[in-house]
Amino acid sequence: MAKKLLRTSPSSSNKFNSANMTDDFQLHLDSSDDDAPEEVTFEESKASALRSMKNALETSKREKDLLKEKRRKRQEMFQEQKKRRLLPAHILEEIDTAPSKKQKLPRDQAESNHEEAYCSWEEGREGSKEGYEKETKKGFKGNIRRLKGNYSVMRVADQSSTNSQQQTAMDFIQARLYGPGSQRTTNNEVLSLQNKRGPNKSAAMQFVNKKWGTEKKAKAEKLKKQWIQKRKVPSS
Amino acid sequence: MGEFKVHRVRFFDYMPTAIRAMAFNAHTERLALARMDGSVEIFNFTDHYFQEKVIPGKDSRSIESLCWVGGRLFSAGLNGEIAEYDLENLRPKYSLEAYGGPIWTIISNTQGTQLAIGCEDGTVKLFEVLEEHIQFERNLDRQKGRIISLSWHPSGTHIAAGMMDMIRVFDVPTGHAVQRLLVDRGFGGSKSRETVVWSVAFLSDHTVVSGDSAGKVQVWDGHTGTLVKTHLVTKWDVLALSVSKDESSVVAGTSEGTVIQFQFIAPTLHQQQGKEWVRTRTFKNHTHDVRALAEIETAIVSGGMDTHLVVRPLLEKFDEKSHASGLRKIHFPHRNLVSCAKKVGLLLFQFPGQLELWRLGDSDGHGKPGDRLPLERMPEKLLLLKRKGEDHICCSALSSCGGWLAYSTVSCVRIYRLQTDNNNISITKVSKLPKALHSAHQLCFSSDSSKMFAASSQSSVLVIALTQSECKYVHTLKPKSGSRQPIHLMTTSVDGKWLAAANSDCEIHVYNLQKLKLHCIVPVYGSCPSAMGIHPTTNNLTVVHADQQVNTIISQLYLLQDWSRKLQKQGLHNVWLDRDTPVTHVTFNSKNPNQVVLHDMHMFCIIDQSLPLPDQKTQFYNQMTLRSLSEQERPSHLHAFKICKTFQDLLCVSLLDDQSLVVVERPLLAITSQLPAPVRQKKFAT
Repeated sequence: MAKKLLRTSPSSSNKFNSANMTDDFQLHLDSSDDDAPEEVTFEESKASALRSMKNALETSKREKDLLKEKRRKRQEMFQEQKKRRLLPAHILEEIDTAPSKKQKLPRDQAESNHEEAYCSWEEGREGSKEGYEKETKKGFKGNIRRLKGNYSVMRVADQSSTNSQQQTAMDFIQARLYGPGSQRTTNNEVLSLQNKRGPNKSAAMQFVNKKWGTEKKAKAEKLKKQWIQKRKVPSS
Repeated sequence: MGEFKVHRVRFFDYMPTAIRAMAFNAHTERLALARMDGSVEIFNFTDHYFQEKVIPGKDSRSIESLCWVGGRLFSAGLNGEIAEYDLENLRPKYSLEAYGGPIWTIISNTQGTQLAIGCEDGTVKLFEVLEEHIQFERNLDRQKGRIISLSWHPSGTHIAAGMMDMIRVFDVPTGHAVQRLLVDRGFGGSKSRETVVWSVAFLSDHTVVSGDSAGKVQVWDGHTGTLVKTHLVTKWDVLALSVSKDESSVVAGTSEGTVIQFQFIAPTLHQQQGKEWVRTRTFKNHTHDVRALAEIETAIVSGGMDTHLVVRPLLEKFDEKSHASGLRKIHFPHRNLVSCAKKVGLLLFQFPGQLELWRLGDSDGHGKPGDRLPLERMPEKLLLLKRKGEDHICCSALSSCGGWLAYSTVSCVRIYRLQTDNNNISITKVSKLPKALHSAHQLCFSSDSSKMFAASSQSSVLVIALTQSECKYVHTLKPKSGSRQPIHLMTTSVDGKWLAAANSDCEIHVYNLQKLKLHCIVPVYGSCPSAMGIHPTTNNLTVVHADQQVNTIISQLYLLQDWSRKLQKQGLHNVWLDRDTPVTHVTFNSKNPNQVVLHDMHMFCIIDQSLPLPDQKTQFYNQMTLRSLSEQERPSHLHAFKICKTFQDLLCVSLLDDQSLVVVERPLLAITSQLPAPVRQKKFAT
């Protein structure tokens, strides 16, 4: 088998070579007439060689410059992003002093996103403290300081103290009782069914009791207003 | 009786926690109940199911199972620790890390010498119960799956362990697993999920009864390891099992909220032999999962995710239908969670995690009885005070002038000074507290807000003097009887001379505050006091007990007042005695010294001591009939107990200084709306 392969390659290459040779012959036959060969002086060829070399050098230089430029721009962008993430120093100082001054007034843990903090910083730059009562990232409670580089400081006590084993056990029980396949329904449904089948038949809970289903009702109100608006605009 | 303007308060978002585990101690007749937030409650079943003690929970504590050994209470939870509770100081004595991962269950043997726990890592660990603590003894053979439930054979030689898809029977002396009982999976879609054996029961004839997540209750022969009978009880899980003491009845609790009883009887009357486990009764007293179950001698006690405790007495154990054989549901705690500042109309709501201070709304209008008056000023939340640390708040108090606020957990006491300007409120913490004041079971302010009383260990009361912004320890009032039980009720007189304190031993001590010593011990009545109050002018002490008895004691002479003697002789009306919730608050009407206002969960009552007492034949709830009678006929039909049932699910009824009533309601429907999801049951025609 191997011999066959060897044999086939030379034959194929032979074929290829013969094809080339016939082509060359053709070209030569076309161009070669009774004309004399072209005269190219030494200076010209030298100049052209030099030119081509210069071009090559220039292109390589340009490419290098382009790359440098790109890299520089990227670096600048990163620097700017980093600057954006860090709050200005005076606001960090304010955050430090604010918890110590604070008394036991109602403190709601405002867990705001970083983007939101940034926007409010832009809007209320001069001495607006309210946005930064608790500058937190979602999922963490308490103060987090960001230092330069990739370090952040947070208190261990603020983290939840359930360890992973306890969490898996709680997840197991939650999944078995309330997870998929547990066929659960809502309290609303159960009470509505009781209303429907009871001795005094009445409507579902969200219609009987004003406090139930407030989100759905609010949404329905909003949609109704939008629809009325839509109807007004084309007609007016 | 008079007309009252009523502040109907429904903005107290009290939310009870679900019941997770319970254990009944047959010797002391106490039921211990564990809730999902880590709190433990002790109910006295001899005293009308009164909630005697409450041990507050903790954020990091989780309780999965409770167990009594003699008079000691042990619990185990998913944080991997076994805790023993100090029932005299209402706190955990110590907690021991078991090093087996989360613990699912804890049981003790009948001799009371050993404890066994089932852990997440598949080991059953044995602990020796010593005098003051417990000590690890050894592990039984480690298994591959988690151990969810355990049951000890009454002889102490074998333990049955319910795991995933199987039950293992261990021989305790050697520690080896001697039997393996394989539990079938459910049919249909649940074939791919493992069956969890949620609970097992080991009977003395080596029968093992198991309840699993496929909804089956199975009876096995523990000697041969074979299945004897399967009862498919529900489509959802069977979460709890309990065996009666004589082993003739087993009850199973399911996710549907039903409790099913199986009895060991002969299926046909003629055959005497061939007794088997037959499904007999089904009780549907719950709307959500039943997770805790106990079968005591005469009743079945169940509790679950719908947060109320249900005691269902078994009718065959009673000769005649009486009050004791009726169904009891315990929804609300038997203590006051609302404090009222009578002079300024402020309310303090106690939650496990925070305190809320509200100012009542105001209305100027007048109207007929039954009208709803328009609000001119809405009630507003003045303050939300969150506790620090992990321990839950166990008691709180607000002074009647509204200037002082205090709360206590098991580890600390905090006192705050409140100042209200027109619309602003400022709160300052009192920083240096006396060293003796590190935790209190009850807190109470004197009516002129100059002193605070804290009930601490061994039924003693600490007296703290309050000045403008600091507090000083004055004295400790100690009872002579040397009782070690905690105080659960305290009340002071309006003139600041007397303090009455009641503890769980049913003792009431009256202290003279001017001389700072014990004045007298009220004659002991067999039932625990559930509410107390000192009259503003006559200084008589009115006590309502858990068995609904109302006693009025003249504190100077510590004798029963004549009225009270008459009441005891005549006996209370049957309708009054049939009520199933205890009175939790007693207050007085300053304008009418004969009137006493008290309430329980379903009604509030004004007792007028100047009117005649009702005898057994008169109609008790006679307010409606009185209204229909004419002026001349009324006086002959009046009796002392005037009951109003307009307001339901009451947490507190109090009388402000301006003669308006404050009624704090918590509709049970609002609690139901926040419970976790119930199972979906397909009913016909829906």
